[in-house]
Order: sequence, then C-alpha cells, then structure tokens
Amino acid sequence: MSKPPSGNALSAVQTLGRSGVTLAIIGAIMLVAMMGLTVFDVIGRYLFNSPIKGAAELTEILLCAVIFLGLGAVSLREDHVTVDLLVDYMPAWVHPIRQVLTGLFSGVILCVVGWRLWVYADQIGGYNGSTTNLSIPIAPLGYFCAICTVVGALITVAIPLKRFFAPPTA
Amino acid sequence: MEHWPIGVAILSVLLFLGVPIAFALAGVGLVGTASIIGWTPALSLLGSAFFDNGRDYSLSVLPLFLMMGNFVVQSGVAEDLYSSAYAWLRHRKGGLATATVIACGAFSSVCGSSMATAATMTRIALPSMRKFGYPDQLSTASIAAGGTLGILIPPSVILVFYGILTQQDIGKLFLAGIIPGVIGILFYSMAVRITLKVGNIDLPTEPKLPLRDRLRALRKTGGALALFTFVMGGIYLGVFTPTESAGMGAGGALLLVILSGKFTVNSMLVVLYDTMNTTAMMFFILFGALTFTNYVNLSGMTIDIQTFLSAFGDSRVSFILIILCIYLVLGCVLESLSMIMLTVPVFYPIAASMGIDLIWFGIFVVMVTEISYITPPVGMNAFVLRSVVPDVRLGTIFRGLGPFVAMDIVRVALLTLVPSMVLLLT
Amino acid sequence: ETLTVANWLPPSHPLVSDVIVPMTEQIAEATGGEVTANILPAPLGPPAAHFDFAVNGIADITFGVQGYNAGRFKTTNIAEVPFLGDSAEDISVAYWRTFEAMLADAGEYDDVKVLGVFTHGPGQVFLKDGDAAAAELLDGQKLRVGGGIVHEVASTLGAVPVEGPSSKAYELLSQGVADGILFPYESVNFFKLIPQLSVGVDVPGGLYNTSFYVVMNKAKWESLSPESQAAIDSVTGEALARMAGQMWDTVDAAGLAAMEGQVTVTTATDAQLAAWTESLSPVIDAKIAEVSETGIDGQAAYDMLMAEIEALAAE
Ligand code: NA
Ligand code: NA
Repeated sequence: MSKPPSGNALSAVQTLGRSGVTLAIIGAIMLVAMMGLTVFDVIGRYLFNSPIKGAAELTEILLCAVIFLGLGAVSLREDHVTVDLLVDYMPAWVHPIRQVLTGLFSGVILCVVGWRLWVYADQIGGYNGSTTNLSIPIAPLGYFCAICTVVGALITVAIPLKRFFAPPTA
Repeated sequence: MEHWPIGVAILSVLLFLGVPIAFALAGVGLVGTASIIGWTPALSLLGSAFFDNGRDYSLSVLPLFLMMGNFVVQSGVAEDLYSSAYAWLRHRKGGLATATVIACGAFSSVCGSSMATAATMTRIALPSMRKFGYPDQLSTASIAAGGTLGILIPPSVILVFYGILTQQDIGKLFLAGIIPGVIGILFYSMAVRITLKVGNIDLPTEPKLPLRDRLRALRKTGGALALFTFVMGGIYLGVFTPTESAGMGAGGALLLVILSGKFTVNSMLVVLYDTMNTTAMMFFILFGALTFTNYVNLSGMTIDIQTFLSAFGDSRVSFILIILCIYLVLGCVLESLSMIMLTVPVFYPIAASMGIDLIWFGIFVVMVTEISYITPPVGMNAFVLRSVVPDVRLGTIFRGLGPFVAMDIVRVALLTLVPSMVLLLT
Repeated sequence: ETLTVANWLPPSHPLVSDVIVPMTEQIAEATGGEVTANILPAPLGPPAAHFDFAVNGIADITFGVQGYNAGRFKTTNIAEVPFLGDSAEDISVAYWRTFEAMLADAGEYDDVKVLGVFTHGPGQVFLKDGDAAAAELLDGQKLRVGGGIVHEVASTLGAVPVEGPSSKAYELLSQGVADGILFPYESVNFFKLIPQLSVGVDVPGGLYNTSFYVVMNKAKWESLSPESQAAIDSVTGEALARMAGQMWDTVDAAGLAAMEGQVTVTTATDAQLAAWTESLSPVIDAKIAEVSETGIDGQAAYDMLMAEIEALAAE
C-alpha cells in the first residue's frame, strides 16, 4: 500500500502474499460486481426503462461483505489507522510491548464485535429478516461478517505477539 | 453533568498510546454505553452499530470512488493531468498545491462526500505532487482541506439534512453555501502561501513556459477531461445521482485503464485489494465513531450543553463564540454527521429565539463542521488520507493542516461579522 | 421510572412532536408522574434497527415502520394495500382494533409490548410534469419508491420503480433521475419536494399506506406496577392510534395546502381508477394470502379492517 499500485512488474502473489491473493480475488469479484450493478442499473433505467430490481440492496450486501472481508487484509498488513502524534516520541524499547498491548486490546474488541455480530445474525435469522425487494435472507451475511471479524481478531493479536517472541535476528 | 467528559479523556489517552482509532472509539463507546444501559443491551447495540451501518446504501460511494481513483492512477491519466497542470503552473510557487485545493473542491462539491474526496484525490494527486518535489506536509494538507469544501458547495448531503432537521428551504441553503465555499477556496490558496512562507519551504520554480508549449501540454488531459465530463454531465443531465456517479465513475475509469493498454489481471487484483483494504479501514473507524456517538447520545451530553448555553444569557456574540468552541472540541472526537444530528436540534431553537437567521446558522454549522474534519485527534479526512497512504505520519498531516485550520477560523469570523455575505444570493 | 425513547426522526417531525411527545406526556400524567420519558436527541442507529432496540432493551420505547424489516412482519400487509380509505384516523383506529382482535395472534410482536400500530395517510401520485388525466399517466414514468408494496404498486401500474430511501428523494427528483414519486401529501411537503413537482393526482382510497409501530421493551413493561400498566394502557392502544391518525390527517391537509399554486392536484379520472383497481386487485389478493401464511385468517382480518373503516367513516 505504501507504494502506488504498480502490479505490472511484480506478480500479484509476490506483492500480496498467498493469503492476500485469495482475499484479493474474492474482494475483486465483489467490488467489480458492485460497480457493475450501478452501471447496468443506470443503463437499464435510462435506455431500456428497466432498472435492475434490488440493485440498491445488492449493493448494500456487497458493501458489507467487502468491509468485513477487507478487515482480514487490514489485519494482515497491520494497517489499522492510529494516532501517531505522541507515539513517535516514545523510546524505542517501549514499542514491542506497546504493540503487544494495543494488539491485545484490538483483538479483544474485535472478538466481542464478532461474537455480537453472530448473536445479531441469529436474531435476524430468527424472524427471517430479508432484503426488501429480492427477499434475500440477511442472517448468512451476518454470520459471514462475524467469522471475518474473529479471524481478523486472531491475526491482530498474533502478529505483534509473534514479533515479540521471535528471535531478534529473524 | 454526566460522565461523558471522562469517556472523552480515556479515549484521548488510548488514542495517544497508539491504540487503533477504530478500536479505541468502539471500546470506550461500549464500556460507556454499558455503564448507562447495562451490559446486555450495550453489547446488542455494538452488534447493530457494526452490522446495520455497514449496509448503508449511501455509503457505497466510498469504495466506488476509491476504485475510480485507483483506476485513474492505474491508467496514467492522473499523472498526465498533473504534468499538464505543472506545465501551466511551474513558474508559480506552490501552484500545484493551489490547483489541488481547487480540484478537491470541485470533486467534493460534486460527489458530496468529504471522505470520498480525500480518498480519491489522495490517490490521484499525491504521487504526482511528490514527483514535482512538493513536501507531503503541504500536499496532504491541501487534499484534506480541499475535500472539506464539498459539504458547503451544493449539492450537499449535510445541508439537505440540516434543512430537513430545521425545516429550512434547501434551495436557499444551497445558494447560501456558494459564496462561503468560494471564499474557502481563496483562503485555502492563501494557506498554501502561508505554509510556504512560515515553513520556509523552497519549492523549485521553473521559468514560465511559452503559451504554445502550455497548450500542447493540454492535449494530455483528454482522458481526465473525458472522465470528468462524463461524471459531471451525467449528474447534471439527471442520468444518474451523485450516489450513483461513484459506480459510473469507477466504470468509466476502468474503461480508461483498458484504453490505455495497461489492463492486466495482475494489476487489477492489486488495485482492487487495495480498494478493499482502504474501505475496511475507513468503515471500521466509522463504526467505532458511531459506537462512541451512541454513548455520548445516551449520556445526556446535549442536556448538559443546553444547561451550559442557557447560563450565558442572550448575547448573540457569546452564543456564537460558545457554539464555535463546542464544535471545535466535539469535532475532535465525533464523526461529523453524527455531531450535527446530536447538536443541531439543541442549538437551532436557541438560535431562532435570538433572532439569528437559520439559513445563516446552517452555513455556520456546516463551516465549523468542516473544520472538525481536519482537526486532531479525530479528523476524518486526515484518517482517510492516512489510510490511503500509510507511509505518511498522521502528525505530518495535522501539522500541515495548521495554516488551513487557521484560515478556516478567519473565514468563520469574517462570515460571522458580515452575515450578509452568506445571505446575498438567497 | 424514566423510560428512554429512541428516535430516528428530526425532533421537528410531526410524528415526534405531535405523537411521541404528547404520548409521553399523557403517560406521565396518567401515571401521576410515576413513569416519565426521555426522548434521545439523536438516533442510535438506522431506522430499521429500532424494533430490535426495543426487543433487546437498548431503549425502552421505540417506534418505526414495520416494512423496514422485510420478512419480519406479514400482518402489516392488510394495512398497506391500495384503496383502504381517505382518512388516516379511520384506517389507524380500524387497524388497531383488527390488530387486537386478530393480527396479534400471529405472534409477530411477542417479544415486545405493543403500545400502538397505525398508518400514515393514503399515498398519492406526484409527477414533475405530464397530463394528469392521461390514461397512461404512469406508463414508463420513473417513480421513486421505498421498498415493499409501493414498489409492487408502481411496477404493476407500468411505472419504472427507482429505489432509494426517502431521504434521497430530493436528490433523485432534483437531479431528474426520477420523474415522480408515490407519497402522501405530508411527505412531499416534509421532504421539501414541492418545488420539484407540478402534477398531483389524488387517488380516492390511496394507492398504498405505510404501517407504523410504537413498542416497549417487554422486561421493562413487566417491571412496572399493575397500576402504572393500566394507566399506560388507558392512553395508548386505540387512543394512540387515533392521535397518530389525526396527526397524519392534519399534516396531509397542511401538505396539500402548501402545494397551492405550485402543484396542481386533481382527482384521478374514473377511467384511471377503474384501470388501476383492476390491475391492483391481484396484488391485494397476494398480500392477503401472505397474511394467511402466519396462521391467521387473512381474508377475515381484511374484511374486519374494511368493515371497521367503513363504520368509522360513517360516524
Ligand atoms: Na457538494
Ligand atoms: Na476533528
């Protein structure tokens, strides 16, 4: 991310890593689908008087899925935005332990969020909550988000811990 | 007085210790909410905040505009645009930064989302400005500040929202936003100059190019102009809405990539992975901010503010000054739309009872909200920039924003002293 | 005891200022100040989340639109179908009576204490321009719709439904993406759409209605003393439905008045009405059949609702 995307020279696997490529393929399909929905909805409505039924709610589902799938990508790269105003002035020895602690804090919060997403999805499933026009059940999306969040939590905790306990040369 | 100030204090400590913004906001929001309504409901509310707000159709503009920005860069069109702008402005000190402010103002006024603008324009503008030797401090600040202008220049979602909240004429609000928006662009250009002067930054200037060469440089802007015309034209002809313009723009930009011959599956994957990554970062901050807002909402903050305000009698000037301070403080920790929803219902009846024009007041509120987008520690536009370019320190961005915030305060003061400037067009 | 009331509308919205606020005042008065309420200044989440806010005890009292939770409520169908009547008050009171007598048995509201169900005024047709009396008035017109029944009504009548939340209605119309909208008079006025429109067609009985709920967290309700419960019951239920219906009728009248000189409102022609009644009749039947899926007799409930509306209109 720090370099502008210039995937031509490197292969995607080299740039993103293997788990990154899997995430990227799923995410890419969803993002392109989101774009395609708008494009074909507008074209259909304007030229043929027949917009895509449920385009808005499909977009909402895709948006939600992209956000939570992306959490894995953010966690893998330790890309969560932090306020670095004071952190820069702390002595170097503080950082490994600080990163373990903030990682644990983040992981706990994400675990709680994942657990509550699961509970909420269960509740929505309980009354057959669905989208308005296409009647797509919403609960499975909630379970998906919950799983993504817990996976994100594990990655967020594991990376700083691994670095902390790794031999200094590694 | 409830315990929300303690919550704000704990949040600030966590942020400064380097806890990711999203989780600091969510954690303090959760515990604070639990202390008011109990753990079981608070946990339910947390699940709802993360799931329900993630399915908000109008927020779909964020990933789609991001995608557009990434495609525009991929196609090489962004670089062409900036080299042609450079050809025209290379003899002016900081010319590209001013051009960026204007471009951000134009883009955000169309798409109506400050965050989407910051995300898109960072991708487009930052690499080119780096190439021409502009320091990150100035480039990022121009983008972050320029992006705030769009909520004032019509169309503006926030002004529509204010109009419905206070039952004011939306058309009048839109007209009233124009002059302050244009003044904003002028003042930000001055902020660019101040940055160069105060920071003692020496940007290389080159001799003015002959007109013929400058005109030749314009040829390179064809792709960018075509995309811009397509998006703007589509909105103004009513073919699609500003919300839909994100998806259409992304489609158009993808077409540019294909036409430029730079389309490969490989690069597409990298670009889209990037888009997904940034989308997740932004939304988790948003979810955290909304969780924290729920805590403030339940904690009775607005009642405290009301009590506080009523203690100051009926002096208009002190009322305006206090509101300005309240927004500057709140803007440090709250997300902007939720800040408006929390405060406007409290403020506008008082403003009306003091005989303050509610159209003017709407513009005033939007201007101070704009400032909150770019003030530390919670400045959404700075966060968005940072999530697009993680190699820039947040401190750098906020330091760069100093002169822009200062000019914003001057602008607010000017429009407070001369309210007719706002109401001239209405 | 102070009850927290979640609110997703601007405080200036008549549903808040003229229904929810007076309701809380009446509760305080009826309970002799034992039970008061605190209305939250800002929303805790999107409108669709509000029913669960009451179920989960996040807020004590919430209100909203059942249709925002698609799949959850089927009995609301009978109160949203076309051609119910011209008065929100009559429809709302009849709806509440039908709810108590039959619809509650479907069990959709078992997780909460229901304080009231009611509907909005009848939905009418508004267009940017066109010949109001034309037989093909709606053919190919792009109409902004929310979800559910309005979408079906619009497409059944030959219009092109453009989806979007009501807060986006201004954008859709002013940009020219939508040619018109199906809305009650009040909403056209409230969302500031009058300058965008020039033609209004008043459809006798309305093309659709929107059902609302006001509910309370069950545990909170059970924690109240039997005296407080009785006092609250005395000012909610049918009384609340009536107050809400009256409010919608009043603001509809105000909305219609605000259109004078800007939107020309005429009544649908007999030919239009006959054609629309015929094409919408299968939609109504399908909606009633959906109500029956919950295990109650949908047709009987619909018949009761219509009979009550007729009786109330005759009063
Ligand atoms: Na704008
Ligand atoms: Na801020």
